[in-house]
Amino acid sequence: MAQPQLRQSQPGQPAGRGRLGPWFDRVCDATERPVEWLVRLCGYSAILFVLAIFVFVFLEAAPILPKLDWVEFFTSPQWRPTSQVRVQYGILALVVGTLSVTALAMALAVPLGLGAAVYLSEFCPGRLKEVLKVVIELLAAIPSVVWGFIGYMVLGPVLMETTDADIGVNLLNGGIILALMSVPIIVSVGEDALKAVPDSYREAALALGASRWEMVHRVLFPAARNGLLAAVLLGVGRAIGETMAVLMATGHAIRIPQSLVDPIRTLTATIAAELGEAVERGEHYRVLFVIGLVLFAVTFVVNLLADVVVKGLRGERGS
Amino acid sequence: MVLPEERYRIEPSPPLLAATEADDWPFGTLRQAVEALQRCAGPVPPGGQRPVYFDIVRQPAAAGKRPRKRPAHRFFVHLNADGQGGDGSETSPWWGLGAAVAGLVELAELGEIELAPGQRLRLEHVEMFSASALERAKRTKEAIAHAVFLAMALALVVPLMAVVGYLVVRAWPALCWDFVWQNPQDYMTAGGIWAPLVGTFFLVLGSLAVAAPIGVLAGVYLNEYAPDNWWTRLINLAVMNLAGVPSIVHALFGVGAFVFFMGMGKSLLAASCTVAVMTLPVIITSTREALASVPMAFREACWNLGATRWQTIRTIVLPNSISGILTGVILQVSRAAGETAPILFTGAVFFVPVADHGWESLVPYGPGDRFMALSMHLFTLATQVRGVPEPIQYGTAVVLLALVLAVNSVSIGLRVYLRTRKKW
Repeated sequence: MAQPQLRQSQPGQPAGRGRLGPWFDRVCDATERPVEWLVRLCGYSAILFVLAIFVFVFLEAAPILPKLDWVEFFTSPQWRPTSQVRVQYGILALVVGTLSVTALAMALAVPLGLGAAVYLSEFCPGRLKEVLKVVIELLAAIPSVVWGFIGYMVLGPVLMETTDADIGVNLLNGGIILALMSVPIIVSVGEDALKAVPDSYREAALALGASRWEMVHRVLFPAARNGLLAAVLLGVGRAIGETMAVLMATGHAIRIPQSLVDPIRTLTATIAAELGEAVERGEHYRVLFVIGLVLFAVTFVVNLLADVVVKGLRGERGS
Repeated sequence: MVLPEERYRIEPSPPLLAATEADDWPFGTLRQAVEALQRCAGPVPPGGQRPVYFDIVRQPAAAGKRPRKRPAHRFFVHLNADGQGGDGSETSPWWGLGAAVAGLVELAELGEIELAPGQRLRLEHVEMFSASALERAKRTKEAIAHAVFLAMALALVVPLMAVVGYLVVRAWPALCWDFVWQNPQDYMTAGGIWAPLVGTFFLVLGSLAVAAPIGVLAGVYLNEYAPDNWWTRLINLAVMNLAGVPSIVHALFGVGAFVFFMGMGKSLLAASCTVAVMTLPVIITSTREALASVPMAFREACWNLGATRWQTIRTIVLPNSISGILTGVILQVSRAAGETAPILFTGAVFFVPVADHGWESLVPYGPGDRFMALSMHLFTLATQVRGVPEPIQYGTAVVLLALVLAVNSVSIGLRVYLRTRKKW
């Protein structure tokens, strides 16, 4: 009987050698450095892409930047890009639209989201927790165009009947849809923040005779304050940047809303609605890119703030 | 004998009833009633849940009114004890009925516990070490908080169920296999969704081909190679920002970079690249998490055998985390399938004629062609085209939703399955 041949690696050679034949080893040796560089490059790609986004949007917008009347741009509510008489680019109404729908969405989503996060992390029995987390994940997965469709086709008629709104697609509609869209992110980030509070905090509170609710609002909320704030900020970021849902559910009226059921238009929806019709590389087209720059800057700052807030939390805990 | 106008009754709670039947008559004065209490004391069964008490009620109540339920005075006694002490409050009950009667008589003589007609005085038995009013208030608050938080959590479940259920019900007339296989006809007012469906498929495929390698390698870099310094922190920040940039800004980037700068034109390729950049963070973060869950000892063992970094990653780290990475990739698929804004101006169009049968219907778009996508199609049907029958609109929404949720469920299922058979 022949002894089974065990392929052994040579002394001084790394493990795993010879497993797939000598040619493979040679390929591997030759590829070690290039692969490392490739991996490194891919790792840097995130920075590259963020820079690229800024650069390319900026380049498209650049020719209009010196010509734009910045005071009018930020302070005028008149957005008349295709006017025959006088073209006006004032984004105030759009900004107010974005802010109002975001504020409304947050007013609905923040209590709900943080409450659900507290329930998930502190009160929930194990099985139910798994189920709820799956539901929240699925809720987060619903595409924004489907949310927009729901706002446009389902919620709109309902709002027309229940409120005395003239049209169903309005600020309230957009706010509700955006709230439902941004709740999952608030819940998941908020739950992470609560989970990050050490158990010893909880044990100390309970040992002093606190009830669970007292523990939550006297100990956990202060301890997880930064994380919860970050959750809210990320929700805000999501709500500001959302496009399709607000495009379909908010009703396209470029004016400053006077009531909860007024139709509005947001910055994102304006780009989505008008870029297709604008003359390619014309003035209107470039102004839309300027709005894109503004959006990029705002979400960048919001995200940066969320990151700083979370990092601040870690620093505090670490010391 | 004429009974005086003022009459007091003793009304004991059910466990004490039997022992006090003989004493159940009206007393002339409060003091007599209090002293009679001593005679009706029976042993209190331990561990009872219902309250044990004596009520002294002053009769008659005002004409036509029943005696009030809520006692005007409440005192507490530990009936099973026997001693002198306590002051009748909840935190310090009298020790035994003797002490209670003595205390009550004293208070009655001082005139502190006079009863108006219809009022009642309650002497309640408390178990030692039982929950006090403070505890009960805490417990009530706790229950309320629990209920409120539960309601908030359920408020997330309800919309999902309601939305999915409602959409399916409205779409039901249109849902059949023909709806999936047929192309849109008659300006989209009839037929099915084959052309956009296959467009979405190729879009996802294209974006996956771009995003998966870059994303996985970026995850590898961040978890395996990156030193802990400001540069790495910057990369993490960039990943987070990439995820936070509005989708419409990604669209503008796609127009600027891929459509014009790289000269791809409005095409499947440009749209795929745009979506790829947008969904990159999904893959990066989940890859990193999957890699981080491989124990350090695995790597150390491998390094100690003399393997290089890349050999370790290739033979140990990646095989042990491949399923976790797959979860992220699947998530990317679901994101890519649902995105609308980034493809709006980079290649997706309202309508492209597509062959109904044969090879042409399976691969209708080349990389340089404009294409239809399901998410875009839904947008078009809902807002851009008039006279589309509702079942077709809802049917399109349901197919898109089902597609995305199914892909997500696969990812979730895979994760759960992994957790159950984790070896370390």
